[in-house]
This record gives sequence, C-alpha cells and structure tokens, in this order.
Amino acid sequence: MASSQSSSHQEPWLLENGNLKSLTKEMRHGHGRTAHNLSATSLRKKSDLTLISKIPYVCLRQMLANLQEVVFGTKLFVLFPAIPLAILAECYGFGRPWVFALSLLGLIPLAERVSFLTEQIAYYTGPTVGGLLNATCGNATELIIAILALKEHKIALVKYSLLGSILSNLLLVLGTSLFCGGLYNLRSEQKYDRRQADVNSLMLLLALLCHLLPMLFRFAGASAALTADPTLQLSRASSIVMLIAYAAYLFFQMWTHRQLFEAEEESEGDGDVAEEKPAIGFWSGFAWLLGMTLIIALLSEYVVATIQDASESWGLSVSFLSIILLPIVGNAAEHAGAIIFAFKNKLDISLGVALGSATQIAMFVVPLCVVVAWIMGINMDLDFNILETGSLALAIIATAFTLQDGTSHYMKGTVLLLCYVIIGACFFVSNPPFNQANVINSSGLKMTTKAVFRV
Amino acid sequence: MDMENGDSKGLIVEKEHHHNGRTMPQNVSSTSILRKKSDPMLVSNIRFKMLRQFLANLQEVILGTKLAVLFPAVPLAIVADMYSFGRPWIFALSLLGLAPLAERVSFLTEQIAYYTGATVGGLLNATCGNATELIIALFALRQNKIHVVKYSLLGSILSNLLLVLGSSLLCGGLANLRKEQRYDRKQADVNSLLLLLGLLCHLLPLMFRYATAGLENSTALCTLQLSRASSIVMLVAYVAYIFFQLKTHRQLFDAQEEEEEEEKAVLGFWSAFTWLVGMTIIISLLSEYVVGTIEAASDSWGISVSFISIILLPIVGNAAEHAGSIIFAFKNKLDISLGVALGSASQISMFVVPLSVIVAWIMGIEMDLDFSLLETGSLAFSIIVTAFALQDGTSHYMKGVVLFLCYIVISACFFVHKIPPPTNQTTVNIGVGLSSGSGLTA
Repeated sequence: MASSQSSSHQEPWLLENGNLKSLTKEMRHGHGRTAHNLSATSLRKKSDLTLISKIPYVCLRQMLANLQEVVFGTKLFVLFPAIPLAILAECYGFGRPWVFALSLLGLIPLAERVSFLTEQIAYYTGPTVGGLLNATCGNATELIIAILALKEHKIALVKYSLLGSILSNLLLVLGTSLFCGGLYNLRSEQKYDRRQADVNSLMLLLALLCHLLPMLFRFAGASAALTADPTLQLSRASSIVMLIAYAAYLFFQMWTHRQLFEAEEESEGDGDVAEEKPAIGFWSGFAWLLGMTLIIALLSEYVVATIQDASESWGLSVSFLSIILLPIVGNAAEHAGAIIFAFKNKLDISLGVALGSATQIAMFVVPLCVVVAWIMGINMDLDFNILETGSLALAIIATAFTLQDGTSHYMKGTVLLLCYVIIGACFFVSNPPFNQANVINSSGLKMTTKAVFRV
Repeated sequence: MDMENGDSKGLIVEKEHHHNGRTMPQNVSSTSILRKKSDPMLVSNIRFKMLRQFLANLQEVILGTKLAVLFPAVPLAIVADMYSFGRPWIFALSLLGLAPLAERVSFLTEQIAYYTGATVGGLLNATCGNATELIIALFALRQNKIHVVKYSLLGSILSNLLLVLGSSLLCGGLANLRKEQRYDRKQADVNSLLLLLGLLCHLLPLMFRYATAGLENSTALCTLQLSRASSIVMLVAYVAYIFFQLKTHRQLFDAQEEEEEEEKAVLGFWSAFTWLVGMTIIISLLSEYVVGTIEAASDSWGISVSFISIILLPIVGNAAEHAGSIIFAFKNKLDISLGVALGSASQISMFVVPLSVIVAWIMGIEMDLDFSLLETGSLAFSIIVTAFALQDGTSHYMKGVVLFLCYIVISACFFVHKIPPPTNQTTVNIGVGLSSGSGLTA
C-alpha cells in the first residue's frame, strides 16, 4: 500500500548550505548505514581547511586537519568546553551538582562524534561489519552509562535511564519530529513506509512482554521470597531470547529485507556525485573512537556518581533525572537529526532514527545489561516497576497505533509529545525513595510484605 | 510441496467442497493436509464383500492420516492404566494417543458434513472443531480441577495465537522470501475483535477482585455472577460470529482454491457417525487419564502443573492443525493458515470457555472467568501482539520470529512459575496481598 510510495517519492535535496551537501554525499554510501546514523550527519558541517593549509609541516598539518575534522566537525562543538570544565570541577572539588551538569553537557557532542567515527570506520570495513558496528555502537553512550551504573550496583539507575531512553525516543523524538514536520509541510502529503514501523513496533512489543511478565509474576506470586529467584531466571532467559530476536532483526534489516530500511535517497542532480570518501584514516578513526569512549566513560562515571547529589540539591527525584534528563542529553544529536529530516518531509528517516534507536535499546542494550550483570554476579532482573512498565506499555501501544496508516499530520506529533509531557510530569511528582541496592520497590514490596505476614 | 504425493491430491479434492459446510479454513487445512490416500489394493483381495467393506472402512479411518504411527499409544495407555504402570507413563502415552484422535475427529466431522448439508455441517464444525479441548475441559471440570480447565483452555488460545501462527509465518516467510505474502486482513480483524471481547470478559472479573479487595465477602459471589453473565454474552457473540461466517459474509472465510476435481465422501453417514461416537469415547477415556494423572506427572517430572497444562497439553491438542497451518504457509496460502490459527483461537475463547462455565454452573461447580493475573496478562499481550502483527495484510518472517519468541518467553515464564496450585477450588493462585480478604474467606 503505502510501501510503494516511498521509492517513487523522491525529491532532490535542498542544498542551501554546506552541511546538507556533505550529508547527501555520505548517504549515497550504502555502508550498512541505517537511518539512525544518517540523522547524526545532519548536525555536521563541512570544516574549512584553508585555515590550516598555511602551516608548513606536512605531518603537523595532517594532524591538525584530522583534529579539526573530528573536533569541529559538528555544530555541537560549542559544548566541548564542558568536558574539561567537568574534569576541573571534579578535581578541584566543586559542587557535585556542577560536575553532574557539566558532564551531561559534555556528553552531548561526544555522543554525536562517536556515531561519526563509527561511520568513518565503516567506510573501511565494508557494509556488513559496518552495519554490525553501527548496530552495536549506535547507542554507545547509553550503554556505557548503563554499564558504569551497573558496576556501582545502581540497578535502579540502569533501569531508569534505559527506560527513559526508550520513552524519549518513542514519544519525544518521534513526537517533535511528527509535530514539526506536520506543521512545516502542512499542505504536502506526509507519507512513510509503514512496514518498517511495523517491524519495530513488533520488536518493542516483544520487549514489553519481557518486562511485563516478571512484573506480573511478582504481583501474582505469593511472597517475595518465593518469586525473587524465578523472576531472575525468567529475566535472564528473556534476555537471551531478546538478544536472539535482535540478531534476527539485524539479519532481517541487513540482508533479507534491507530495502525496507534503506533511506532511499538518490539525489541525482548535484555535482559532487559519488566522490565521497572518509574524512579520516582507519587507524586515526579507531584511535579517536577509543579516546572518545574513554572520555565518555569518564563523564558517565561522574554522572553516575553525582546524580544522587544533584537530585538532592536541585530537589528533583532521581527517577526524574534519569528517566527524563539523561535520555534527552544522550539523544540530543539524534533528536535534532530526526527533526531536520521531518522538516524535509523525509519521515522514513525520522522514523528510522526514533524507532530504530528505541528498538536497539529495548532489544540490545537492556538484555545486554542483564547478561553483563549476570556475569558480574549482580542480580538484575527485567522487572521495572508498575509505573514504569505502564508508561512503557502506553508509549509502545500509542506509537504503534499512531504509525498504523502510513501517513502523518501534526496532530499525531502533538498527541505523542503530550504523552511525553504527562509521563514526565508523573515522574516529576512521584518521589520514590531511591534504593541504592536493588529493586525499585515502591508499591510492589508493600503488597508482598503484607502477603508475607499473612502466609 | 506441490502435488508430488498422494495426500496433497486428497487435500485438493476435499477443499473443493465449500458448499458442504466446510467453509472454515480451520477444517480445510488442519486435517486434510495430514491425510494420505489409502491404498485399496491391500484389501481388494479379501473374499467376503462385507468383510472387505469393513476393512476398507477401517483402513480409511485408521490409516488415513500420517499421524497413524501414534495410534499404538492408545492401547498402550489403556494397558498401562490396567496394569498400573507409573502414572507419568499413562499421562505421556495418553497425550501421544490424543494427537491422532484429534485429527480423526475433525475428519469424521467433515465426512458427516457431506450428508447433512451446509448449515448443519457448518454448525457441526463450529462445535466439534476443538472437540479434544472441550472433552478434556469437561473431564477436568468433573474432577473439580478448575485450574486445569482454565490453564488448558488459556494455553490453547496462546498456542494458536503465538505458536501456530508464529511458526506458520516464520516458515512461510523463509520459504517465500522473494515473493509477496498477502492475506485478507478482514478475516483477521473479525477474529481479533472477537478475541478482544473474550479478553474483556476475562479482564473484568480479575479487576473486580482487585477493585473490591478491601470488602470482605461479596467479591466471590459477584465475580461468579459476572462470569456467568459474560459467558452467556460470549455464546451470543459466538452465535453471531457463526451466522456472520456461514451466512452473510462467507466470502471472507472461504479458502479460495480453484482446482477442479470432483470429490465424494469416503465413508457412509452411519459408519462415520459410529466412528465419531467411538472416537469420542476413546478421547474421553484418554482425557480422563490425562486429567487424572497430571499431578503425578508434574510431581515426578518436576514440572509445574501450570506449565504442563498451559504449554504441553495444547501442543498435543493442536498438533494436527499446527502441521497443516505450516504446510499451507509454505505454499504461500496464508489465508488458510490464519483461518486455522485465529479461527481455532476464537472458537476456544468464545465457545469452549463459556460453555465450560455454563456446564460448571449446571453441575453446581463455581467456575468463574477470573484467570489469574499472570495468565490474563499473557492472554492480553498475545491478543494485542497478534492483532498488531496482522494489521497490514502482508507478512514476512520477522513477524513469525517475534510471535514465536513471545511464545518462548511466555513458556519460560510458566516454566519457572513453580507456585503450588491452590487447594481452593474456585481461584487460581491469587495475588495474595491484594485480594487478601477474598482469598482467605472464600
């Protein structure tokens, strides 16, 4: 139905400014790139090489060019100064909320740069490895934060931040994209291929089942003592199933049905056809990636360590900070990209960004965390609490319904966005005691303790 | 997969016959696909005509299915029971014996439908399509094992929606990777709506209990009344569905097969009828064994009763339909596969379940529609995910993968769910904390 539209529906790029051009160049390159990565490119700008061409030494010049490409290649580079500031603030023992805020700011450009570097490496490794790399590193920031939080046994933080990332992708990123795209293209038809959205919805529903069952398990079970162990076993089994599902999804996406996921853009008109090449070398890209990952890890550690203090000094609950604020920061680059593509009425790419990212977190990062926790001997299960699971269920079902018919208008965006606002408000006012050790336990434990006494 | 062998010919022959009340794809596929054309040569050299006819008849009924290899399990189960072997053995043998019997019953129902005409035949199919499940449920009810009734029916719905449908879409998607796989989504929509109605009928008693957790005594009675009223509503809905399917909108449900071949009934009416009665009695016997030995099997295997009755029982009961559905998916005839899986699920949800409640009512047993939280949650989720998967009228293997994995997760959940079944006869394990009062006072 709507599926045939997307291929016939091509329009030349609007090449007003430099960064768009570089974006088209990169897109032609089918190096296993999903829409998810494509979006980040919209924030890039063509760096100006005239400045450094005056430097005499070749070696130095190359290094500076490289540096310029990596550091200044994004519009978000204005936020880079936050990184040294965060480190300074930590070293000189400033207020911990300051460290938290600066680290968060510093993470924004880093998240974008990591996906840039991944793409650069993908140029050298070929489509399959590149695609796999993208599929695993696409949400590197979230993954690193989650694993560091896991290391400090802050399981609630892991769960909250991953849940928040899914919610933010589904409702905030998608909502603003549809809203802005709908308003900007008020008179033109906004179509997309609903099959891609369907696959993602199904994957998210499977993820929802994996979160739902442990929770129901706990509510249905007689006592906490009786259910804790089975819940853990169930969560681990579910995580393995989810990873299998994600592997099948990658296979589906990269081999058998790649036409569903490729952003079919073939701007034939512009001059610089096909002479696009990686901006930096393989080893240089690799080294940068390692370095960036280390910095991200450092900042993530600050974030994880200081979130409690920030929460106390700002009077915001930890759940609000980690469900709402953290993901906004982590997804900032993708968010901007999705909106820009929605403005251009390329909803397929916007959907690919938002849904692909949500699927990746739900089906890859979350089960990976459970498995890593298992290896580390930490008892992390998939049982989010009822409020969180309820929000997740609503977000997934609302999104799936919204994307049923292959067309869009701004009202859909408005509704999704308002759903996000309400969920945000809900977590803003809910202030559960933050339990460092393990479960989120607000209502569930109360009920089960009652049961323990009775049985 | 096309017609290399005898049995697929027999299948087309039978499929022709829309007007004999064979409109439900459920019956077309599941059963006929597993049949093989029996070879009359074997019996033709026997002298007496009477005996020859009898043997031909016997061969047609007993050996007419590929599942005939499982028939020996039937006498073995009976022998095991008589000589009092280990009860888990009786359970396993009875389960194996039920698989071919379930297929044969629907074969016989079709044979009878040839003689009775479209309407009666359609009604017969609508009631006997899941005869095995119904008989097991009734026997469990007679032995007051209400949780087994609920679990097995719930499991049958789950298995049809997720396992049968999921593996069909998966196999069909992989076999037809380059082709477009389409189906008529209107049929799927009708079934989804019916299943949603069924879900509501299970959801309300559950929420009822949670909502009135504080009030002590009234809940059990109210839930029971509500369940009985809901059951009547469900039966009304099922009658309307039959009417819709057989009279006003039959084109939605017709399996569109156009191969021209004349077919006729292989059995006489009375012969088929006698066989049907005989088979039903054997099924009853085996069902009684199954119900009677399920706890013993659960104890000796270390698997919970809920897992056995939600996962194992339905796999056996649906084996024939399952195989048929997958074979049709291989041939890219998804309409029939969907008809089998969804039709069977709605039949159980809207006919067998309420019928069990009504029968229990007549027998004075207090069975309500309140499955427990975990079970209702799984049911709700299965219905929603199936409805979403079937929204767009096309299919690919990823849909099958997701549905199948959902089934795996749900099975894993019931596998680790080792809470002892309640001694209390009305309720399956309740969330004690919430329904504190009712759980203890009931």
